[in-house]
Amino acid sequence: MKLPRNKLLAEPPAGASSDIAFILIVFFLVCASVQPEQGRPQEIPKTEEEPDKQEKNKNPEVELTRTVVILNGDPLTDKSFASRLNGLLAGKRNTEDKVVMLKSRKDVSYERWIEFTGLIEKAGGIVTLQLEEEQVQVVN
Amino acid sequence: MKIPKRSFEASVPSMAMGDIAFLLLIFFVILAKAQDDSHLRWEPAADEELEQASNYKASVVIDVKNKTYLNGRPIAQAQLEGALSDLLGDAEPTKRTVLLKVHKDATVLQFEPVIEAVSKSGGEIHHVLEQERK
Repeated sequence: MKLPRNKLLAEPPAGASSDIAFILIVFFLVCASVQPEQGRPQEIPKTEEEPDKQEKNKNPEVELTRTVVILNGDPLTDKSFASRLNGLLAGKRNTEDKVVMLKSRKDVSYERWIEFTGLIEKAGGIVTLQLEEEQVQVVN
Repeated sequence: MKIPKRSFEASVPSMAMGDIAFLLLIFFVILAKAQDDSHLRWEPAADEELEQASNYKASVVIDVKNKTYLNGRPIAQAQLEGALSDLLGDAEPTKRTVLLKVHKDATVLQFEPVIEAVSKSGGEIHHVLEQERK
C-alpha cells in the first residue's frame, strides 16, 4: 500500500519581496556607479605671456605632428625620440632645466599627444604647452 | 449613561514601506544623474602606468562629437575657465583635481583649450585613460 506524502507549501513570505527588490536595486546601483577613474595626473605650469629668452634657448623643444616628432629641429621617429630626450635630460637636476616646451599641430590626436607627453614625463621632463596665439586680422 | 467613544487605529501600513523606499531611491538616483557624465560617449586613450584619481572636484568630457561637457552638462569652451574657477573655489591644492575624459580621436584644436582652461583656473589635471594592452 502506498502512503500519500504530505505536501509542504514552501513559499517565500510575500511581505519580504519588497525588501528583496530594494536590496537588488541597491546592488545594481553600486555596480553601475563604480566607474574606473584611473589615469595619469599631469602638472602643467601656468601659462606665461612671453617665455624667458634664456629659458627658451636651453630647454628642449618638441614639435608634435601627426606623423613625426621634431626635437630641437630634428625630425625623429617615434622610437628614437625617447632615447634622444633621455640623453638631453640626463643629469639635469634643477626643475627649470627639466621643462620641455611642447608645441602640437592642430590635427594631432589626443591618443598621440598622451603617448608623447607620457614619454616626456618618463624621461623626467616637465611638459609646458606652447600655445599658438590667436591673431586677429582686420580686413578692410 | 456615557457612551464610550470608538477608537480608530490609524497606523501606516508596513507593506507600503518597501514602495516608499523604492520611490525615494528613484528620486535620489535621478538627482544624482543630473551631475553624472556616464551617459556621454567617449573612448579613452591608453597608457601603461595608471593611477587612481582621488578627491576630484569636477570632470570635463570631450565626447565623440567633440562637444565639451562640465559635470555632464554641455558648456562652451570659452566659459569653462570661469565655471571651473567657481567650482574649485578656495579648495586646498590636493583637492583641486579635475578629471579630463577626452575621446582618443579628439584633436589639439579641441582639447588644448580645455587643458589651458583647467590650468588657468588652478585645477590639477588628471587624464582618465585605460590600461594599455600589450
